[in-house]
Amino acid sequence: MEKVIVLLRKAPYGSIYTAEAFRTIMGIAVFEMDICVVFVDDGVYSLVKDQNPEKLEMKPLGDGFPMLKEFNVNRFVVHDESLSERGLVPEDLVMEVEMANSSQVSEIIKDYGRVLPF
Amino acid sequence: MLFTVNDSSLTSDSLDSLLRIAPSGAPILLYEDGVFSAMEGTRDSQKVIDALKDHPIYALDADLEARGLKRLIKGIKIISYDGFVELVEKNDMVPWL
Repeated sequence: MEKVIVLLRKAPYGSIYTAEAFRTIMGIAVFEMDICVVFVDDGVYSLVKDQNPEKLEMKPLGDGFPMLKEFNVNRFVVHDESLSERGLVPEDLVMEVEMANSSQVSEIIKDYGRVLPF
Repeated sequence: MLFTVNDSSLTSDSLDSLLRIAPSGAPILLYEDGVFSAMEGTRDSQKVIDALKDHPIYALDADLEARGLKRLIKGIKIISYDGFVELVEKNDMVPWL
């Protein structure tokens, strides 16, 4: 099976990157690929619970990630240092994720070999 | 003068740069990705806490709610779009892009 990482480094709502990453994951999930979604730097904000962008007239982005499991996207990795330096803990996130330190993220990227950056 | 920041301080130097240069007493408004700096317990929280001694700091409610941010640094004033407009009416606005 083809393996690919979707790497999110940007915060949601401030730019189009998070929404586009999500659309891309939905798009490639139909090809039965081994998809690993990795959240680094401001990308970890994508998973914060209780996002409500109603006043921005936008759709909430965080709640979509747990639903990706229905499309057979099952691996979600969060860089632990990115999370902690933002004052966040795993309980602040919309779903259970695999926490990884820098060298573990590095290994995962090496293992998958292909990265779609957002 | 009202200085505004719309970048995340965790991945941009906008806030650092502004805090070095903004005249003492000048109000600062955080909006869009700038609101991440209003959170407590981040790498940059102490800078913001120190800055509150010199500047009133505001954060836009719509952007906080969108991002699900709740644990905020004490002393930061949460304002609505109407509050934003009032600040702009009272001060010349300098976006720190």
